Amino acid sequence: MDQKKIKLSIKNISHGYIVNDDVFQAASNISLDVYDNEFLVILGPGHCGKTVLLNIISGLEEAEVGQKEIDGQPFKGSDKRIGMVFQELALMPWKTVMANTEFGPQMAGMSKQQRRKIAQKYIDLVGLHGFEKSYPNKLSGGMKQRVGIARAYTNEPEILLMDEPFGQLDAQTRYAMEEEIQRIWQQEKRTIIFVTNNIEEAIYLGDRIVLLSKCPAQIKEIYDVNLPRPRDSVSPEFLGLRKQISDNTDLPL
Amino acid sequence: MKKRTVKLSVAEQKQHNLEIIYKLLPILSFLILIGVWLLAASVENARFPSPTAVWERYLLLCEKPIKKIGLLGHVLTSLRRVFIAFAIAWSSGIAFGILTGWNKKMGAVLNPIFNAVRAVPPLAWIPLITIMFGTGEGPKILVVFIGAFMPVVVNTQAGMSNIKQLYLNVGTIFNANKYQRLFQIAIPSALDAIFAGLRTSVSSGWMVVLAAEMLGAKAGVGFLITRGMESGDQALVLISMICIGLVGALLAIVMQIMEGVICPWTRKK
Repeated sequence: MDQKKIKLSIKNISHGYIVNDDVFQAASNISLDVYDNEFLVILGPGHCGKTVLLNIISGLEEAEVGQKEIDGQPFKGSDKRIGMVFQELALMPWKTVMANTEFGPQMAGMSKQQRRKIAQKYIDLVGLHGFEKSYPNKLSGGMKQRVGIARAYTNEPEILLMDEPFGQLDAQTRYAMEEEIQRIWQQEKRTIIFVTNNIEEAIYLGDRIVLLSKCPAQIKEIYDVNLPRPRDSVSPEFLGLRKQISDNTDLPL
Repeated sequence: MKKRTVKLSVAEQKQHNLEIIYKLLPILSFLILIGVWLLAASVENARFPSPTAVWERYLLLCEKPIKKIGLLGHVLTSLRRVFIAFAIAWSSGIAFGILTGWNKKMGAVLNPIFNAVRAVPPLAWIPLITIMFGTGEGPKILVVFIGAFMPVVVNTQAGMSNIKQLYLNVGTIFNANKYQRLFQIAIPSALDAIFAGLRTSVSSGWMVVLAAEMLGAKAGVGFLITRGMESGDQALVLISMICIGLVGALLAIVMQIMEGVICPWTRKK
């Protein structure tokens, strides 16, 4: 446990918004260490500031208070080492699967040939070989999110943030995608921070689960999930942990 | 080989019949239109020419063209005017719309002036332009330009200032610089709004060119229809009207095809 390398750490993050002339506190004094190549799940009730926390790590929002560090070095704003898979898919409808996937390296100014090669590798990895020239409106929900995952990987980040990536999928597709993301992560290890409001999804995927309280979000408890992968969602250990977390979860507002 | 006849279920048969009915209905409406036309012509023969009279007038027009320019020649004269105006209005309108829609400061400076000018309908410009520049080709193209420029700017601006935050967030996450944000994210995502503007500019430009021609021209469909009016030649007026309608519809179809080619992702499944 102790020799694990800390990849990302956030310190004393607090953040609020002004809503109707009132300060609405979204996150309050959150400190967290994320280990290298760990699959960390942030679990919490709906609208509890999970997305805010992720947006702060990714640099979409600047925290009012607190710092963030990668490999012990402080950083600000968005960073090339951090990639993101968005909740609402966020594929650009005017770009083909290939053009969406190679977006990151393209922005970095990589040559077409080189970035195509990397993009192709991840398109193949997520199982979309043959769909490179399709536009997103021709794809199903699950396939779109595969593109989102391939796009994040193609930028070759060290840390991958996933904001309820499967929240909009139907239950069947969701199970399949949970297996997929686990397979992809095992094949291409990265540090993953995965946000969800679904307890089973959290236990199925996470090495560790960070349980947040209701608003303003604070860390309530951190669970180590020491079950062998692939996990059996009806095993007694799984169900026991599920009950334990579920009893400890605040009801959403 | 034995031919197999497929037996349709009752529901399928019904569906099939419905489809045939939907194909026939538009033809029926055209037949009704011609019927009403015939009826109107038989009641008010002096003021309203029958379809056959219009057809005969068309044949005569082919034999003895007005001002030695055939019908097609008049159409092409009008089209030439609008196309020159479109080329200028589209390039400058899109550029102006992007500038004022994307750059908030530029928008704040230029939009009040633009909105004041826009409140004047393009046709109201004709007297001023005629006094200043006469009735040559240039002034006509200028009037059409005004008519086509406004909708392009309005729609481009709307598209550029309503870009989904989500797409811009993707740009932030992948560290796009400001030029990449503009050319890779903002402009492509505004393309359908821009195209809506282009479509409106086509119909408005086509309308304005006719008005400009009606007020003084030596050729063009607008001239033709005025000539018909002045000489009490209703058949000629109707021929011009049909022509104007057909060209307008054709332009709309061309725009649709163009959008499909330039923005293939908007094509229906």
